[in-house]
Amino acid sequence: MEQVERNSQADRSGSLALKKRQENGGQLFHYFSDFLGRGILAASGKPVGRLYDFKVRLGELFPKITAIVIKRRGKHWELDWPSVENLSGRLIRLRPGTELAFRPLSVGQDEILLREDLLDKQVVDTFGAKIERVNDVHLLSVNPELRLVHVDYGARGLLRRLGWLRVVDAFTDWLFGYRPQERLLSWKHIQPLASDPQRRDLKTNVTLRKLHELHPSDLADIIEELDQESRRRIFQSLDLETAAETLQEMEPKLQLTMLETATAEKASDILEEMDPDEATDLLSDLPQDKQQKLIRTMERPSREKVEELLRFEEGTAGSLMTKDYISVREEQTLGQALEEFRKTELPLDSVAYLYVTDAEGRLKGVLTLRHLLLCDRDAPAGQMMNTHLVTVKADSDAKEVLELFKKYKFMALPVVDENDRLTGLITLKDVIGQK
Amino acid sequence: MTGLKEIFRHRWKGLLLFLSVAGPGIITSNVDNDAGGIATYSLAGSRFGYSLLWSLIPIMVALFIIQEMSARMGVVTGKGLSDLIRERFGVKVTVYLLMAVVLTNFGNVIAEFAGIASSLEIFHLSKYITVPVGALLVWLMVVKGTYRSVEKIFLFACLFYLAYIISGFLAKPDWSVIGHSLATPRLALSAAPLGMLIGLVGTTIAPWMQFYLQASIVEKNVLVKNYKQARMDVLLGSIVVTVVAGFIVLTCAATIFKAGIPIETAKDAAEALRPLAGRYCSALFAFGLLNASLFAASILPLSTAFLVCEGMGWESGINKKFSEAPQFYGLYTLLIFLGAGIILLPKMPLFPVMYISQIINGLVLPVIMVIMLILINNKKLMGEYTNKKFYNILSWITVAVLAAICTAYLFFLLRG
Repeated sequence: MEQVERNSQADRSGSLALKKRQENGGQLFHYFSDFLGRGILAASGKPVGRLYDFKVRLGELFPKITAIVIKRRGKHWELDWPSVENLSGRLIRLRPGTELAFRPLSVGQDEILLREDLLDKQVVDTFGAKIERVNDVHLLSVNPELRLVHVDYGARGLLRRLGWLRVVDAFTDWLFGYRPQERLLSWKHIQPLASDPQRRDLKTNVTLRKLHELHPSDLADIIEELDQESRRRIFQSLDLETAAETLQEMEPKLQLTMLETATAEKASDILEEMDPDEATDLLSDLPQDKQQKLIRTMERPSREKVEELLRFEEGTAGSLMTKDYISVREEQTLGQALEEFRKTELPLDSVAYLYVTDAEGRLKGVLTLRHLLLCDRDAPAGQMMNTHLVTVKADSDAKEVLELFKKYKFMALPVVDENDRLTGLITLKDVIGQK
Repeated sequence: MTGLKEIFRHRWKGLLLFLSVAGPGIITSNVDNDAGGIATYSLAGSRFGYSLLWSLIPIMVALFIIQEMSARMGVVTGKGLSDLIRERFGVKVTVYLLMAVVLTNFGNVIAEFAGIASSLEIFHLSKYITVPVGALLVWLMVVKGTYRSVEKIFLFACLFYLAYIISGFLAKPDWSVIGHSLATPRLALSAAPLGMLIGLVGTTIAPWMQFYLQASIVEKNVLVKNYKQARMDVLLGSIVVTVVAGFIVLTCAATIFKAGIPIETAKDAAEALRPLAGRYCSALFAFGLLNASLFAASILPLSTAFLVCEGMGWESGINKKFSEAPQFYGLYTLLIFLGAGIILLPKMPLFPVMYISQIINGLVLPVIMVIMLILINNKKLMGEYTNKKFYNILSWITVAVLAAICTAYLFFLLRG
């Protein structure tokens, strides 16, 4: 319901005028299923074969059909679209002399076949962040071209393909005075997934581009619902940062399998990209030998952080904490602290507070962003900081930490050792993720 | 010394790996011995004595072949069976096939409720109370998400089947007659024994099991490199099913068939356990039948709803809200309450219902097998894991034999 409304809105800008013309009798919109199996005639009137498939080149917002495909003696043959004279009626007519131009089908990197790769297959709706199954494909004819504009995932598409649509429409008209709604998704939000294994690896990066519009949490949900092969392909197509963020959102069991399917080098790159505490959680579930192997290939700073975090047992504050935080010394100025903040690439929830330590690294106080923005830049941190501190020890129970968060409603809590030295940080996000 | 340690560690690792992958096959096989199964095996033994016992051996081979294919497709493609059918055969085949599967499964659901009704009739509990309560229980268990924890109890209670094995020995059957029957397979060509044979096939190799097994494998996320363990699990499951089935048939033959009583109610079928449990045999049988019925009743409607939604592209899953997955919950609920409702009709013959549903299973099975064989030999889907030539020959022979038996049965049935 929601989606149909959204789509009709999306369409309003572009194709309202066209829709009008369609209603006036000009056949502009077509369903792919109506074309399937249509007879193809040469200009001479000699039958050439039946339509088996359409080939489409991706890339444009609403991509063009580039070739028609027929099946003859168990082989697929294609003919370029310009050879098609017209589509009207129950037959497809070719231009003179083109019936000999059929050549064996070959599908390039940025091309898909509507029947083989789209019809009845699963696609990702990147707008609604959902997986849908394609019941039909909606085409728009803009003479002389035919373009792919929507996929149909609704009951009408299903009934049309079964050949029941007229009967059901007549019945529901009579009984309710109402017809089930058309459910179309605009092609600009559609990411096709299925493809031939022989072409699969070539296509990875080119054709999965639309998925990258999704939020990592949504992407993780979608990946969880797919089969192993699609998971692997999608995961491989992601850049390191997105891969790391997506991996963090997956359920732990799947995280391990995803990491196992990646090459060791990529796996350790992804781990470096992840929040150290998340990476540690993941690593701690791996068998000892695999864990060590991955850690060894990681680069310096993240590797040290992870190695330190791995020492803490699960269910303790230490297992929740991250090494990503900013600390300044008492004698440093707020201006310098602000400079630290500017330089950082850490996520915002890790830098909601800046911690102030003495020369031995003992935690003395805390600064908030407000301090940095409103106070005198030249004032030393030790003077401006808030000294009322709530801290936890690395070996305290994770449940106690949760209670502290509930009580004080802080964004983050610092972790200190027995000598009050700052060793880490627990963010609200880390606590929420805890079961 | 270190060598020994290494081997031990390896074995240990292998065992752990096996246990983690194990499950789908064993669970499926235990669900397979449901109300329809117990009824059909009991009837086979009590009506035909030892004469059909031989058929369980080829049935076991066929069961393994089919289940192995389900498992392999699940591991290699990571997709459910109805998903594959939809993607390779298109809408039309999918819709009509799923309709047939839903109707067949619905027959099985009815049988499970017949099992609940007839097992508790032994304790003089009216079906007008037990069946609605059972339906509600099953429905709530899944919707409230408590099923996973109850599953272990169901599985544990499956130890009940041991009772048949012990009782079978205690009944002192004539082992030489059994041996002779196994060695010389014979089949009378008339509707009754052919129907019983199809029932035996249909209950042991139920069509819904193939969908369920493949879905469980996919859900467990078994990787191709762990496939061997999954195959072991399936093999073990197939053997367990057949041994249990064999002993139910054998025990019923040694007791009920010998005494010449026809089975009409659960109380009659319980007589098979008398050598073990004496006058408590009815209670023991009631317990076993109730467990089997509830176990399958909580899996079957759910698995049916899943397979339909998967093929049609509708949202599914018990973690979804009703408004998000209306078709899923609708179908699930309908199967349970309609199935229970049919059992509540007055004068419903409970044992025949359980038996006939299994014959329908058997008649639908060849169709499902053909579809599976086409899918598993598709290079695009299975890559290097398509069937080997010998395996294909064996499978197609199985299909041909099954189809021939079904045709013969229908022929004799129509001729009267």
